[in-house]
Formats: sequence, C-alpha cells, structure tokens
Amino acid sequence: MWNTIFPYLLSGISVGGQYALIAIGYTMVYGILRLINFAHGDVFMVAGIVMVYMAASGLPLWLCIVLDLAATAIIGFAIERIAYKPLRTAPRMSIMISAIGVSYTLQNLVLYITGGLNQIYPKIPWISDSITIGSATTKVVTVVTPILTILLVFALVMLINHTKVGMAMRAVSKDFETSQLMGININGVISTTFVIGSFLAGVGSTLYFTNYTTVIQTSGAMPGLKAFVAAVFGGIGSVPGAVVGAFIIGIAENIIKGLDIILFKAGLISKPMGLAIFSDAFTFALLIIILVVKPTGLFGEKSIDKV
Amino acid sequence: MKKKLDFPHIMTVVIIIAIYAAVFVAEQTIAPTSMLFTVLKKGATYALVAVSMNLLNGFTGIFSLGQAGFMLIGAYIFSIFTIPVEQRGIVYQYYNGGIIQFTLPVVIAMILAGLVAALFAFLIGLPVLRLKSDYLAIATLGFAEIVRTIFQWDKLGPITNGSNMLRLFPTFNDFNIRNAEGNVVVYLSTLVPMIIAGICIGIILLLINSTYGRALRAIKDDEIAAEAMGIHLASHKQIAFCVSSFFAGVGGAMLAMYQTTVQAKSFTTAMTYEILLIVVIGGLGSVTGSVLASFLFVACSEWWLRFLDQKQYISGHEIPLLRNGFRLVVFSFIIMIVVLFFRQGIMGTKELPDLFRKKKTAEGGAK
Amino acid sequence: MKDNVLHIENLTMQFGGVVAVDNFSMDINKGEIVALIGPNGAGKTTAFNAVTGVYLPTSGRVTLNDENITGLRPDQITARGIARTFQNIRLFSSMTVFENVLTAHHLRRTSNLFSATFRLNAMEEKRMREDTDALLKKVDLYDLKDEMAVSLPYGKQRLLEIVRALASGPKLLLLDEPAAGMNPQETDELGEFIKRIRTEFDLTVFIIEHHMNLVMKISDRIYVIEFGKQIAEGRPEEIQNNQAVIDAYLGGGEEL
Repeated sequence: MWNTIFPYLLSGISVGGQYALIAIGYTMVYGILRLINFAHGDVFMVAGIVMVYMAASGLPLWLCIVLDLAATAIIGFAIERIAYKPLRTAPRMSIMISAIGVSYTLQNLVLYITGGLNQIYPKIPWISDSITIGSATTKVVTVVTPILTILLVFALVMLINHTKVGMAMRAVSKDFETSQLMGININGVISTTFVIGSFLAGVGSTLYFTNYTTVIQTSGAMPGLKAFVAAVFGGIGSVPGAVVGAFIIGIAENIIKGLDIILFKAGLISKPMGLAIFSDAFTFALLIIILVVKPTGLFGEKSIDKV
Repeated sequence: MKKKLDFPHIMTVVIIIAIYAAVFVAEQTIAPTSMLFTVLKKGATYALVAVSMNLLNGFTGIFSLGQAGFMLIGAYIFSIFTIPVEQRGIVYQYYNGGIIQFTLPVVIAMILAGLVAALFAFLIGLPVLRLKSDYLAIATLGFAEIVRTIFQWDKLGPITNGSNMLRLFPTFNDFNIRNAEGNVVVYLSTLVPMIIAGICIGIILLLINSTYGRALRAIKDDEIAAEAMGIHLASHKQIAFCVSSFFAGVGGAMLAMYQTTVQAKSFTTAMTYEILLIVVIGGLGSVTGSVLASFLFVACSEWWLRFLDQKQYISGHEIPLLRNGFRLVVFSFIIMIVVLFFRQGIMGTKELPDLFRKKKTAEGGAK
Repeated sequence: MKDNVLHIENLTMQFGGVVAVDNFSMDINKGEIVALIGPNGAGKTTAFNAVTGVYLPTSGRVTLNDENITGLRPDQITARGIARTFQNIRLFSSMTVFENVLTAHHLRRTSNLFSATFRLNAMEEKRMREDTDALLKKVDLYDLKDEMAVSLPYGKQRLLEIVRALASGPKLLLLDEPAAGMNPQETDELGEFIKRIRTEFDLTVFIIEHHMNLVMKISDRIYVIEFGKQIAEGRPEEIQNNQAVIDAYLGGGEEL
C-alpha cells in the first residue's frame, strides 16, 4: 500500500514546492496591490521559454540559469510599470482586466516566436538525472525542489521581517495610503515585490520544466491558477500560508492522479474509474469550498468593511 | 413617460432593419463560401455571449469568468439532444450509441441549453455570489474548469461521449430552405443565427431597461446604498447571474451549430478571456459596444487581419515579421492599448440611439 | 401612551475588543425629530448601522412599531419602513437624478422578472415614473431630473439622497450628518426642509448631526452618547445646560 502511494506522494511534494515558488508571487502582489496578477503564470512560462532560447544559443548552462532568472525579474518589473502602474487609481476591475490582457499578450507573443510548437527544455546536469528512492524512481529535481523551496522561503521571510525594505512591504500591505503619507516609496516597494515574485517564479520554472521537459505558450496557465488557489488556500497575503497551501495542493492532485491504482490495489474498486482526470478539477473545487467556508484561508487576516 | 418614438429610436430601428435586409439580400446573391458569412455567423454568436457577459460584468458589476463553462454546458446540451437517433451509433461509437435515444427540435434544444446553463449558474451562484469581486472571478473561473473536466469524464461517456467529439447535429446550414431535389432555394443560414442573437440581445436590453435592470445598475454603483434602498443583493445578483448564464448557454448552442462539432477541451479559460476583452473593447456597460466589438473582433481575426499570418511580398521583398501568429500579437497590442489608454472602449456606456442625440444624456438604455 | 415607532433596547456593538456601542437604549415616538449627538467616534454611525441591519448587533434588540427587526437584512428593514442616508454621500453614480429616485420604487414593485422584462407591468412602471416626477417637483429638483446625480452641487446631492430615501416610502427616516459640508444658509434651508417633509410625508426622523444650531432648532429630543454610552437625554434646552454634555464636548475640543 505504502509502496503504491509513495511515488505519488513524492512527486506531489515536488510539484507542491514548484507551486509554492509561483504562489509567493501571487500572494505578495495581492497583499500589496489587492490584485490577482493573472499574468503571473505566464511570466513563469516565459521564464521557461527564455531558458530554452538561451540554452540553444550555446552559452554555458549555469550562465543561462543566472541570465534567465535576471530576465524573468526584469519582465516582472516591466509588466508592473507598463500595465499596472498607470491604472493605480482606476477601479479594481480595470487593473484585473489589464492583467488578463498581459496574460493574453504574453501567450500570443510566445506563440508567435515559437510557432506554437512544444519546446524541449534543456537538460540540466545532475538535477535531470534519475534516482531511486524506495519504491519510486524519479529525477533528482524531485528531491531538490522541496529543499530549495524551503530555503528560499526562509530567506524571503527573513527579508520581510528583518530588513528595511521588508518592513516597508509589510507597512504597504497593511495600509497603502498611510504608508504613502509616511514617506514610504510605494512604487519602489511594489517594484521590489514584482521582482522578488518573478524571480521566484523563475526558479520554480527551472525546476518545473526540468521535470516536465517541454514548454509551450499555455504551459503557465494551469500551474499559475493552481498556485493562485494555493495562495488563497493558505490565506492570501501570507507567504507561509501560500507555501503550506501549495504543498497541500501539489500532494492532493498527485494522489488523485494515482487514485485509480491506489484504490484498485487496496481492493476498493475492481476496474479503473478514470478519476485521474479530476486532479485539476479537485484544486478548483477546493478553492470554491475554502472561499465559501473560510474566505481568509488558513493563515489570512480578517478585514472589516467600513460604511 | 410618453411612449412616443423619438428620432434616435426611429433611426435605430431603421438601421437594424436595414442590416437584416442587407444580410438577407447578400445571402441570396453572394456565394455562400464568402468570408462575410463566416464573420456574420460567428460574430452573431460572439455578440450574444459578449452581451450576456456584459450584463454581469458591465451592468451588475459582478466580475465573473465562468462564461466558457456555461457555453460548454449549452453547447453540450444542445448537441446531445439534437443528434439524430440514426446517427448516434456513429457519434457514440465507443459507448454503444449512448443512452439517449430521442431528439428534440432545434428551438426546444436551444432553450433547454439555456435553462440547464442557468440551473448550473443558480447552484454555483448560491455559494459563489457572496464573494467579493476578485475572489468571485477566480471561483467562477475554477467552476468553468471543473465543468470542463466533468464533461470529459469517461464514466459520463454514454451521455457526453467522454472526451470524444460530438457531431452530426443540426448546424446553421440546416436553416437553408431546400427544394425536393435538395438544392437550396432560399439561403437563411446567416440570417437565422443573426435573428436568434438579435432576439436574445433584445430580451437582455428589455431586462436592462426594466425596473430590475435599474436595480442591477444600482448594485454596480454602490452595493450598500442599493441594499439600503431595499434591493435584496443576493437575489438580484442571482437573477443577473442566471440570466447571463442562460444566454451564454444559448450562445454555446449557437457556437456548436457554427462549429458543427463540439469538444469540451476547446472551452478554455482563454475563450472566456477573449470574450471579456471583446466586452472591454466595446465598452463595459454598452450593449451596442459589445455587439460592435464582437463583429469587429471576429472580422479581424477571421478575415481582415488574416494576411498578417502569411508571408507577404512587396515587389519581391518579403515583409519582415509577418508569419503565423503575428495577427494575435497585433491583436494583443491593440487590446493592451485599449485597456490602458481608452478604458471607455468604443462606446463607453452609450447605446446606438445615443449617437443620434445632440445633448449628451446619461440614459444608458436603448428603449 | 405615545405611539412608539423605534425602540432600541440594550444595544451593544462590539468589534473584536472595541465596544463601539455599549448597552444603549432609546425610544422614538411617531412624528418626532430625534437627534443623536456626541463627539467624533462616539458610536453614532455604528448605532445607525446596527438599526438598519448593516451590522448585526452583538446583543440587544431593535423594534419598529413593536416588530422585532434585529438581525434582519438592510433591504428587509427598508421594506418595513426605515430609510436612511449616508455620512459620505452614496448616490448611484451612473444614474441621473430621476433614475436615482426611480430606483427606490423597485422595492414596492408587484411585477416579477418576467413581467418587468416583457413590459407586462407597463401600468406600474408608468405609475413609478409619475410618482418620481411628482416627488421631484415637490422638492424643486424636477429641473435637474436628467442631470447625472454625481454632477450636482454638493448640497443638492445631500438633498437628493434624502429624496431618494423618501421615495422608498419610509415611516422612519434616518439622516446621517445631512448638513456635513454645508454652509450656514444651506444648513438653515435643510432644517426647514426636514421639518417640512416630516409634516408632508407623515414621517418620524432620527438624525445624527454635528451642526448644533441645526440640532437645537429642529429636534424635539436629543440623545447624547460618548464612548458608545448614553450620557444625556432630553429636550434641546435641557441638553444645552447639561454638565456632562458640556464636559464631553469641551473634553473632545468641540464647540456646543
């Protein structure tokens, strides 16, 4: 029984870590701008595409990774400056629409550049290698992901709690207007948030696409949405919440992928039910349930509307 | 209120009649393979769906992203119940012809498509409509994804044909009138969809300009004030959500007829985004705008801007950039420009009759 | 026995650890104009919100004409005959003056979605529009009926908000700082207007206001609260000479 579940659990933890790295970008941006950055999943996808093209140019791989992460951070910064900053005083619906527009634009740009064909993600030595742990044969990246995720999150939490820019971020997410009056450089804080969020999505993309091996213009949509659900699940605005949410969702969806086999081996069903198809739907069902039962998520704070 | 028809309304009626008359004449005279008809058919379908989305997002202020889900339900209900019994063996080849062994008339099936979509909307609306703007957006989007999965589930195959295509149901071409030899006598395959869309949009307009429509606009403007004026938020949002979904369902049925085949996997989030962007380009809060933008969008993507997707030569020199996908890039940039710099869209909140008024008035409606 | 309209009994409103309204009781009788005053942050608007259903009271009871309305939704409370205005004006911004007032008639409709959409309620719609016209004429806003509500001058917007509330057919009208931002002349006119509508519409009025001249001139009785607790109650002249009230206001740095 354990041997049946273990491989799914392992890849769940791994995918969970990758979702976590994307989810942080959502949760931080939402915390500060109250905006669902619908384009964030596509930034993650673009990071994958940039990596493909850089590796093809013949640069050493380590340099490609560094340049890719830098490029991703710059793209995140640029998107905020071009598409969100001009709408800062506009109704919230406008800025959400702008985010959807950016998502549409990024996907179409990549479609144009790649011709809509699957791009093979470069094999990164060592983390692309296979290893066997217990009953599971997997890639090294599966094991590396959760560890790297935890380290990065730890570093981020230190940054938020113990540096000046972190303090500014916390202040802005608590009260936008007052922070502005107190002389905090709002635009600087927002840009920093986008840079950090995009950088982490870039790291996530390296890990994710090493695992899935191909990138296409729609590759970011689903992981993006799931990471967002993770952020909501954990309590939007909370970094640790997003990480916990991401691991739960990653594990749950992978268990569902193997549910037919697990149930079959446990003797609970006699023939496959085709349940694997619900691995995505489950995430969204979870989203609707959490929104209805506890809209503030696991770690979120409650806010009162003033009349 | 005097019921007298004023100049702007007379002009509006004249324009609409002229358009329908022109389409009828064009259909009898121009070859049916012309791109014009493709654009008009698909445009009419999109216009209906865009207006139904505008009812929610533009008039009621509910930011829903579930449109593709409701279209999917409509498309499936329509096709499932209209495939001729003798063809079911072919379509449902992996499921022994399926379990539904009767067919409904096209009109009944379309209404049923809307009703089932509205029923789903009602059920999902109970929990979801209590949520705030962005949470509601993501919850409805999630709902659409769930629907897409359920309709592809193998266990539902005897009804939905699983992940396989539904086909051989009536299409727009079946609206043409044929003689005994099977030759078309009167072409109606474009006019009828336009009339269907026109009637549906007309009903939505009537709703918008009724006392219920005013209540919905009040909710959009200020929920707290609307509630203090005695408007029950939950039931009115539910009304907007169900009516919108009803027409999205009918729109889905029309899309099925346009495409001639239906497959769940094509009703993606990207489809919802596309419709939302059409609504934004037309102007959130303008029915006329949504209709105009739908036809423009479809005309550009299917016809006028097609050349951007092919290599073009001017006196032997290849024009740079032009190749597959460039059209969508141009599109994206146009959309971003509208979103960032022309937030009012083509029409703002104006309607067709407003264009014939000298003084700018605020009456949003067309009636 | 006086004809009781609104009865508030031991109302307490708590947000987390903050007690905004503390065990507050009051009565308003038919035809009265009653004011609720107190320093900023005393809990006046919170009390209004608890009466109109925006907040669910932590404890206590509110009755309207002896019917318990505690815990009802705002729209249900409006339907039972309490209409209100807001401290920060909340007009429907996409609508004209006429439409703003017309929307208030939605509450008393007899049509349903189907009959309204397909114009089977033409008689009712006609009556709604005629009533709206008549009301606008009565309050001298008819000439502005096709203007956008939010393009009106500030004072007119305040007036329109009151008119919109009147159109919902209330027995009790709650006004939350109706004179805020008005000049002395406008304030005087508002006072006359409130008295006039009380008679013409057979109303009872409950008002929160900072303009003491206005309060003293139009109120039949005044309640004073500080930190959510009642510190005085009485006729205007009694309140003016009440030591606790004077202390509260001097302490709060406001002028009585």
